[in-house]
Amino acid sequence: MKLSGMFQLPVLLAASLLATVSAEHTNNWAVLVGTSRFWFNYRHLSNVLSMYRTVKRLGIPDSQIILMLPDDMACNPRNAFPGTVYSNADRAVDLYGDNIEVDYRGYEVTVENFIRLLTDRVGDEMPRSKRLLTDDRSNIFVYMTGHGGNEFLKFQDAEELGAFDLADAFEEMWEKRRYHEILFMIDTCQANTMYTKIYSPNIIATGSSELDQSSYSHHADNDVGVAVIDRYTYYNLEFLESEVKDLSSKKTVGELFDSYSYEKIHSHAGVRYDLFRGGADAARSRLLTDFFGNVQNVEVDGAKNATVDDEMLALSRTIAQLKQIAEEEEAASKNASEGPKPESKSYKNLPSAKPLNDDNWWVKKLVGVAALAGCTGLWALSSYLESSA
Amino acid sequence: MRLFTSVLTPLFCLVASAAAASDYHEQLVLKPLPQNSVLASFDFKSNTSVAQFEAHNFRYFPRSLAQILQHAGTRELHLRFSLGRWDAETWGARPWHGTKEGSTGVELWAWLEAGSDEEADQKWLTLTNALSGLFCASLNFIDSTRTIRPVMSFRPEGDHPNTTMTNMHLLHGVLPREVVCTENLTPFLKLLPCKGKAGISSLLDGHKLFDASWQSMAIDVRPVCPAGGECVLEIEQTIDMVLDIERSKRPRDNPIPRPPPGHELKCNTSKPYNSHDTCFPTDSLSAQEWTISQVFGKSMKGTCPLTDPAVPPVCIQAPHSRDVFTSAGVTELKVKENERCYLAPAEDDFELVLPHMPHEGENAKSDADEYVKPETPLLYAERSFTGHGQQRGGVQTIFTNPSPDTEVEFVYLESLPWFMRIYLHTLQARISHRTGSDKGETLAPEGDVIQEIYYRPFLDRERGTQLEVRMRIPPASTVFMTYDFEKSILRYTEYPPDANRGFDVAGAVITITTLTPNGKTSSLRTTGLLLNLPTPDFSMPYNVIIFTSTAIALAFGGLYNILVRRFVGQDEGPEVSLVRLKGKIRAAVSRLQSKTKKPGPPGMAAEVAGGKEKEAAKIE
Repeated sequence: MKLSGMFQLPVLLAASLLATVSAEHTNNWAVLVGTSRFWFNYRHLSNVLSMYRTVKRLGIPDSQIILMLPDDMACNPRNAFPGTVYSNADRAVDLYGDNIEVDYRGYEVTVENFIRLLTDRVGDEMPRSKRLLTDDRSNIFVYMTGHGGNEFLKFQDAEELGAFDLADAFEEMWEKRRYHEILFMIDTCQANTMYTKIYSPNIIATGSSELDQSSYSHHADNDVGVAVIDRYTYYNLEFLESEVKDLSSKKTVGELFDSYSYEKIHSHAGVRYDLFRGGADAARSRLLTDFFGNVQNVEVDGAKNATVDDEMLALSRTIAQLKQIAEEEEAASKNASEGPKPESKSYKNLPSAKPLNDDNWWVKKLVGVAALAGCTGLWALSSYLESSA
Repeated sequence: MRLFTSVLTPLFCLVASAAAASDYHEQLVLKPLPQNSVLASFDFKSNTSVAQFEAHNFRYFPRSLAQILQHAGTRELHLRFSLGRWDAETWGARPWHGTKEGSTGVELWAWLEAGSDEEADQKWLTLTNALSGLFCASLNFIDSTRTIRPVMSFRPEGDHPNTTMTNMHLLHGVLPREVVCTENLTPFLKLLPCKGKAGISSLLDGHKLFDASWQSMAIDVRPVCPAGGECVLEIEQTIDMVLDIERSKRPRDNPIPRPPPGHELKCNTSKPYNSHDTCFPTDSLSAQEWTISQVFGKSMKGTCPLTDPAVPPVCIQAPHSRDVFTSAGVTELKVKENERCYLAPAEDDFELVLPHMPHEGENAKSDADEYVKPETPLLYAERSFTGHGQQRGGVQTIFTNPSPDTEVEFVYLESLPWFMRIYLHTLQARISHRTGSDKGETLAPEGDVIQEIYYRPFLDRERGTQLEVRMRIPPASTVFMTYDFEKSILRYTEYPPDANRGFDVAGAVITITTLTPNGKTSSLRTTGLLLNLPTPDFSMPYNVIIFTSTAIALAFGGLYNILVRRFVGQDEGPEVSLVRLKGKIRAAVSRLQSKTKKPGPPGMAAEVAGGKEKEAAKIE
């Protein structure tokens, strides 16, 4: 094991060198995380859902979006609009809609699950829809919102994700070649402190507010009864909706960041470019659709002369052959199993529910009486010995 | 028209019997209920031959689910997503005799083929996790503490060959806290051949479904072997919901009820104070007008082209005296008494209109014209907590057999969390007969009621309690079953983020073995319970830290002070400035006093001023 690990090292190094050469990403993923429970944090869920609608609008399929919603707002008994979540008091867009797939919800939204998701340290039984199946050509958009503080983000009012934990998770992702570029966006109080500890390459980070600054909500809906969206997310969405109408948009990340102002957001939004290869200029010139939209270009390995029909024919022939082989093997194994039966493993069966009945009533009573008599005898004996001593 | 119907009816019956062998059909049955409610039962049934299933050829059977079933060795699967409470007192017996109903939240039970219990547990883990990914629900939380193996309550519904039957393990799990919302409906619709785009499934809308008074989504997969035919694997997806007509007619953008303007109010004129400006509103109990598009928020978009055309897509169970108008091109079939079915055109929108039925006036109608009188259920059951305090509690379940002449036999199953430690010796059943007068109450020994008990005690943090009781209740009597329990104290990290809300306890499953008039078993579920456990103050650790820090600071400060200080006599040490300060203050006070008592001679004042100067010089 150790030996193979040593062999892998140079290979990995060479591969990572190659990765830095290849410039383009081939798939897009989005990790959208809300971390607040309870009805009065409605706006955090609507923040996340607005981002979900935006990336879905720009073509990222549900299978490549990991959506984490810690509480149920749409079907909450306190919601006057059943099955809907709105992010604007004009209630023009129902964010919950008819077609939504939530990957982690309720109590599943924990720091552990979030870190496991990023680093893909999950059990065998974890379904594919709940995993971040990225590779070294994946661009990932990570969006988080909730209540936070200096270098931490609260999850469900019960636990915290530290800035160091997040930085280490990104580093592990980089070492495992799980991303090409990451756009990290966070909307909480003192959000900019969350990305200060990140040290892995190719990450553009942005946050809503500086150290000791709060992140404010934008407005409330009187019928919903609570604030419906945060300022930072609101102005991000405003830009994305008005400027990035479809995948052909040439708006860059820099242009989005330039649109932030203290007058609008009421806090100082921060940006971090220094981790990015090529620095601020390269980072600023990245297209927004590189992170919010799904990549359209498909890379084909080598040119093929055969037409598609021929390939399909060849493929179906191979399938038929494989099927035949499999059938033969099955028949052979059947023949083999007819001989000596394989020894069945002896398993320990779990205790199952037992019927309660009055069988052996007398026996049980006698055992009880005998135990009682034994104890009395012991006590009598000990007291006798004590008195005689 | 009459002739046409009479000709069509036998024809339809013939076709319907043939349809049973067809691959896919869907049907919506609407049933008006008392108090302006309507029960809508959607039924989608498709099947595939077992040989095709094993060869991975899927036509109507959803591939995503089939692969999970094959991977986890599942022979039969039952999955339920439910919300709300079925009001048996008003609405009567449950649809499908309660067999398509689940406990509030998510309920799953399956027969897995496995050689041993451990292998079954492994497959169960695979199954729950895979289903959690497919249905966007936290089914992966069904772990060993929530899994039970019922003995008497469930029987396989499908036809299983005897060889596999011996290796089949039944596992059952409930998540009472799980919310059911649009993200669960989305994958449910994606399993259907028409995917909610056409046919009756186009009526399903999360906004109305999750606003219903009661709803239950069910998925059942079972093998069916018709006599002499090839075995097929059948998947039946059903959705049942009770819609409050007035509530579901509210517009989507303005769902908050607002008081109607004064001139629209209907006043109870029998009140003595009724006048032009004083009004006591009457309960409008007469049937309201409603249409399919109003209560479902959408209209039906043609029929699903894959469905068996002979099965009418929409039926309504109401007296024939209830007026029903249809959109153009719809054929009405009178199937049996109190049931009408409608064959919809393939392309056009389908609409049913049930007009308002006034209880007064010329064409006055009664309730009997409006809806079929609900069937009395075989058994009523309700369950609640008794007792008070943070340490102990009790559970009381009340069973009522409404039938005047037949006794009812059933199995009562409870799956309780481990932190609810029940005392089995306190389990008792008290029976009260309702003879002629209400007061006639006789107590019978519990032995007559409780027939058999299967019990598996809890183990802390490993498994919950499983309690199965077979009971028999004589006609027209009520049984009170009670037991006590103790509440555990959880570890700090075991509390959920909203611990003060309480802990949900799954509803009890009651399987009635007394057959219904149709010769089928029926079942019902009690509502879930909300258990309040002693909950710590979660800021306590911080308080402890602060308190201990303070204590240490005080103790350390004092000790350090004593250790480093050198003690000397008062006269040995340098003159302490504090003592001087005190003397000065005293002198100043005495001067002030002497000044206020009598104005002193000018020489004295000079002396004082001189002294001050002297002192100032000293300080410098």
